[in-house]
Amino acid sequence: MLLELDHISKIYGDLHAVDDLNLTVPAGQWLAIVGSSGSGKTTLMNMIGCMDSPSKGSVKLEGRKLEDLNASQLADVRKNMIGLVFQKFYLVPHLTAVENVMVAQYYHSVVDEGQAMKALERVGLKERAHHLPSQLSGGEQQRVCIARALINEPKLILADEPTGNLDERNEKIVLDLFRQLHEQGTTIIVVTHDALVASCAQREIMLNHGVLVGEKWNDDAAREAYEAQGGKPASTGAQVEGAQTGETAIGFADPTKAAKTGGED
Amino acid sequence: MTNTGMFFRMLFSAVFRRRSRAVMAVIASMVGAATLFCLAMICIAVPQQMNQEMRAYGANLIVTPTGDSGSDAESDTSASGDSGSSADGSSAAKSTGIDAAMVKHTTEMVAAKGSQKHATYRYENVRVNAAPYVMAGVDAAQVRNLNHHWVVDGSWPTAGKVLVGRDVADAMGLKVGGSITIGYRASDNASGQKTSSTGSSVSSSQSAESPESDAASQSSQSSQQMRDGRVNSDIMDTTGTEFRVAGIVDTGGSEDSIIYAANADVDKLTGVKRGVDVIEYSSGASDLNALVASINDMTSMHVKAQQVTKITASDTRIITMLQTLFWIVSLVVLVLTLVGVGTTISSIVSQRRNEIGLRKALGASSAAIGVEFYVESAMYGLIGGLVGTAIGYGLASWLCVAVFERAIAFNWALGVASVALAALVAVVASIPPVHRATRIDPAIVLREE
Repeated sequence: MLLELDHISKIYGDLHAVDDLNLTVPAGQWLAIVGSSGSGKTTLMNMIGCMDSPSKGSVKLEGRKLEDLNASQLADVRKNMIGLVFQKFYLVPHLTAVENVMVAQYYHSVVDEGQAMKALERVGLKERAHHLPSQLSGGEQQRVCIARALINEPKLILADEPTGNLDERNEKIVLDLFRQLHEQGTTIIVVTHDALVASCAQREIMLNHGVLVGEKWNDDAAREAYEAQGGKPASTGAQVEGAQTGETAIGFADPTKAAKTGGED
Repeated sequence: MTNTGMFFRMLFSAVFRRRSRAVMAVIASMVGAATLFCLAMICIAVPQQMNQEMRAYGANLIVTPTGDSGSDAESDTSASGDSGSSADGSSAAKSTGIDAAMVKHTTEMVAAKGSQKHATYRYENVRVNAAPYVMAGVDAAQVRNLNHHWVVDGSWPTAGKVLVGRDVADAMGLKVGGSITIGYRASDNASGQKTSSTGSSVSSSQSAESPESDAASQSSQSSQQMRDGRVNSDIMDTTGTEFRVAGIVDTGGSEDSIIYAANADVDKLTGVKRGVDVIEYSSGASDLNALVASINDMTSMHVKAQQVTKITASDTRIITMLQTLFWIVSLVVLVLTLVGVGTTISSIVSQRRNEIGLRKALGASSAAIGVEFYVESAMYGLIGGLVGTAIGYGLASWLCVAVFERAIAFNWALGVASVALAALVAVVASIPPVHRATRIDPAIVLREE
């Protein structure tokens, strides 16, 4: 498995932002994490992305326990294995599109402007490579963000609401890019409210107040392959009503609606 | 492109594409650099100017004959530090004074240690309306050049014309353009009779006895001369040579009791050509003590050099006070610059928290981020320092012209130091905010849901 979460919890005082979650993600899987605001999706992403550490439990990435690594080693894991895509893009405002892509190369290894231009070409922004973020539309900025995430060929792309600030047309462009990356074998974990985005993933898990409350598969072949590898459904040790505690996945119908209503409908 | 190239590309983008932010930091550095450079330039210019100004108030060094060249040289009474008293010696050597060759040689020694101005004085006791006075043979141009503080009503002495002191003029009711009859008696200037009056002619800054008391003493002595076994009183003898009064000098000092005439006139009046009694120097030497010692060590010169301590001490004291004041102001400006630049950099850093978080999320180490911001701060300091130094020089030049009426040359060493200091101050001021920035948790970038 590429990613293994073993009974991880993130606790702030009395608040369990993520509560006793078990989850395994094999290489090449496209996973969507859905849930309402404050359900712990981003906290979970931060822990997977080596930007936060769990209060309890263990996170393994390619078999390496992240809690054993120091800040510098975690930074190395981030730049070598993970590509980050943000809802708010977070491009450096005084750098052009191609320079923003090159920043990721700069911290990873060696800057190669040609490669950065190819990455922009891949997301359809070659002509806009020398524009500043302020001169780009939201969709274009998000595509620059994706180009930056994939420039170092990461094994795992973590995307937090990647289409949250985009119109339908740009949402489609971004999802097509994710499809291409997935077809090339990149593991993708997407946090989303959007039903369309979630439905593009092979597998969806749902959080509610930090607790796993559901899991569903959109791709049976992928499920079979996962189970053939020994993969098990996600689960939680939290003793909360509606929690997915056993080895049986609790399905849910409409992620967007469920996210907004907390699964009441 | 190499990673170094990318580093500078990011740096220049941060500085030049975020101009509004960068301008604030540059202005803060610029103001500091301009003020500090201006103050430093003035700190350097002021002592030079003060030296020149103080030197306009007369001599800071005097040279008199030692009198030990003669066979019966008397002890030199100048130990009191009063140059004039050196002329009390009654030896034949003293009466011949310092000859022109020795004046030239001494002047060369003084000139070797720095800029110099000098004037020579030959003193003689004369009679005006039977009353004793001191007459000084001078080169008017030299004296005028040395004593800028002398207030002369009329003109300086030329052939046949004398410059009389204010006290002399008042005592005799002399006016500019009037005439004065001056008599010379060799007996007044005979060995043992020559009084300390010459001392009073030296700069008013010295602690010479008052000319009035000199004159009284002289009068008393001259009236006691013996002729044919009887006391010969020539007190009513009013014969002499008539001179025109070219001008009246008013210094407020002992110079006001002296009659100044051209050297040639004194030679003619006395009928004797001899060397001078005093050479006054206004020396720009940095170490006057050393200069004095070097002259005094040359015993074969038969001259004695002394500092006019009042002038040199005042000069040093005022310069020290001014420099201390400037350094205190500079220190305050430096602290204010640190605060200003620090606040600006702090503001820039806090505005870029998300960017810093993003860079850390992309794998940047704290050290890498720290280096980027320190170099960026140094860049602001460098640009601000360059512009500020140029402005500071302009300001210092303007001030020196307006206040001191003199131009100052650009001091390259100070310029380089100013720019380097501006860059250093910018870096030092950015340490606290950058240190805080490097501890930013990258998770903040993703925390906004």
